[in-house]
Amino acid sequence: MTRILVPLAILEGESVSAGLTELLAPMDVTVLGYHVLPEQTPPDQARLQYEDRATDALEDLATEFGAEDGTADYRLVFTHDRKQTFDRVAETTDSAVYAIPGATGPIERLLVALTGDVAVERIVSFVAELIGDREIGVTLFLATDEETAGRELLETSARVLSGDGIAVRTELAIDEPPLEALVAAAVDHDAVVMGERAPSLRTLVFGEEAERVAAESVGPVLVVRRRDEDADRPSSTEER
Amino acid sequence: MDGDPPPAPGPSAEGTNVEGESPQIEPTIETEEATITDDAELERTLGLSGGLAIGIGTMIGAGIFVFPGLAAGNAGPAASVSFAIGAVVALLVALPASELATAMPKSGGGYYFISRGLGTLAGTVVGLSLWFGLVFATAFYLVGFGYYAVDTLAELGIAVGAELVVPIALLFGVGFTVLNVTGTENAAKLQNGVVALLLSILLVFLGYGGLDAVGLLGEPTAPERFAPAGIFPVFTTAALVFTSYLGFAQVATVAGEMRDPGRNLPLAMVGSVVIVGVLYVVTIFVATSAFGSEQLEQFGETAMVEVGRHYLGPIGAFAIVFGGLLATMSSANASVLSTSRAIYAVSRDALLPRRASRINLRYGTPHVALGLAGGPILVLTWTGRVELLAEVASFLHLIMYGLICVALIALRRDEPEWYDPDFRVPGYPVVPALGALCSVALIGFMQRASLYVGVGIMLLTVGWYLYYARDVDLRGAL
Repeated sequence: MTRILVPLAILEGESVSAGLTELLAPMDVTVLGYHVLPEQTPPDQARLQYEDRATDALEDLATEFGAEDGTADYRLVFTHDRKQTFDRVAETTDSAVYAIPGATGPIERLLVALTGDVAVERIVSFVAELIGDREIGVTLFLATDEETAGRELLETSARVLSGDGIAVRTELAIDEPPLEALVAAAVDHDAVVMGERAPSLRTLVFGEEAERVAAESVGPVLVVRRRDEDADRPSSTEER
Repeated sequence: MDGDPPPAPGPSAEGTNVEGESPQIEPTIETEEATITDDAELERTLGLSGGLAIGIGTMIGAGIFVFPGLAAGNAGPAASVSFAIGAVVALLVALPASELATAMPKSGGGYYFISRGLGTLAGTVVGLSLWFGLVFATAFYLVGFGYYAVDTLAELGIAVGAELVVPIALLFGVGFTVLNVTGTENAAKLQNGVVALLLSILLVFLGYGGLDAVGLLGEPTAPERFAPAGIFPVFTTAALVFTSYLGFAQVATVAGEMRDPGRNLPLAMVGSVVIVGVLYVVTIFVATSAFGSEQLEQFGETAMVEVGRHYLGPIGAFAIVFGGLLATMSSANASVLSTSRAIYAVSRDALLPRRASRINLRYGTPHVALGLAGGPILVLTWTGRVELLAEVASFLHLIMYGLICVALIALRRDEPEWYDPDFRVPGYPVVPALGALCSVALIGFMQRASLYVGVGIMLLTVGWYLYYARDVDLRGAL
């Protein structure tokens, strides 16, 4: 089963909403409690002081995600670099998806974005696995300049999901700014599923696309991680 | 004093200090990317470039921007030999320190190796001396910064006297401490950029100056006797300028946060010494080719500004002033970071009260340790005694360096089971033995006053050990 990493700034009181817990409950979940330290502070020093407090909170959270059934566990990391920690833990726990927790009630409809250079097939099959036989609808969203190719992609993907008995709608945004269009489409949805894109100048300046979507749409965002075979160049963290 | 109840001691640490605290030592598994303890993981986030930036960033400010005038005044053009001697001694220590660091990649650096290799007494002396050594070094960098700040104002046409050097240094000392307590931005990337910028300025300047000095450009300058004051001052100058080589030990204080420590630690420590060593020697050559050593001495702490003006006119002077500000600031900043780690390392081992390593949740910074660094730094900065500050800093570091080499030999002679370094020093036992001897020998060339202050501090640390931590046993306590 696909494992989902749920990173939480545990000592800053970040938590997950009931809707997200419910959505992820059938999946394997690793709760990643992290605490980012300024460079003046050795991570070990923070560990001595905060480990117990953080572990208590993490144990409770992991229980909510189903630790007792063996589908959830937790890790606690003290770090200077949040992104590096996410990547490393996702790699070692073999998590194909990570979640940006947001505020939401019960989840009735997911917005699934297929825009850009993302692994469409993996996203679609993850969504099918996530929903299973639950009553959760899906809107497939694509922002593109090429109408015909875009429509084709949406329809192929929609057919896969409908084949699994999921209620699918499609939404195509032509010649619109992709991010703004996605955020606008997210309005009547409870959570967003999207793919992680190769790091680019744009992400360097404005930050990770998924995080911007999360910030603008308020709800949770599930991000299907890139794999090395998704692109020609490796996506792993290089020397900084 | 009533502290928290003492936590259960680790598997191999024994004994408690006066307050009933015992060393907090837990078994860990070290991987290339993280340290894994029972319940938590500690991310290793510094790469090779980050390590080099700490090493070079700490060192370059002193060697290039503060010392050339003073050193040339003492030893003449042979001051470049003094810098070369310093580089050799630093390398002889950096190699053994690298081996120990790959065997024990933990916060605290030299202190950690010595307390584990030689026991608590040596550990306490070194741990507390490292703290004070860094404090002296930081005060020295700050005073150097003050000189550059005054010169910057002069370049901008605002002439202020040298009496403003210390007030400016104090002001920035306070600023640094406050920034370090409240600053949550990651300055590490900034530090990398600053060091890269500095290196580029220096390469252009030294490249041009070097060509000029050997007579390929411009007119040849008047030759001067290589060692006008004889051989002895070459060695005393080496002792003085050794402060410009302290940075590689700072790399070891962040060993616990280095990615792939088996590879990056030796490369960062040895690499930074080699890079700055070459730069120093060339700088002195270029500086003494531009001016006679007496004139350089008169220019004092900011002699390099005049050297820059000599070769490249006002642009050169401006570039050096700007570089000097950046370099002394990055030295001071990097040292403050290491100081708080040094204090943390001894406090974790119950050699200082545990309160010293408290961090506040608001900023996530170790405010107590930073205060313990910042306070004494300000007092010392206030003295404004550049040479004394530099030499005491060197003295306290050299004691540690000597003991690092001794610790290596002690560990190698009877290798404990846990001792498994990724990097082994070439030329054992000659290199560590020479390293220890040279470190002690260099101390012998220092001024009396520096020796008294240094020995005084060491005696105080011994007294502290006897009073506070006599029952703590750290040898081999991993």
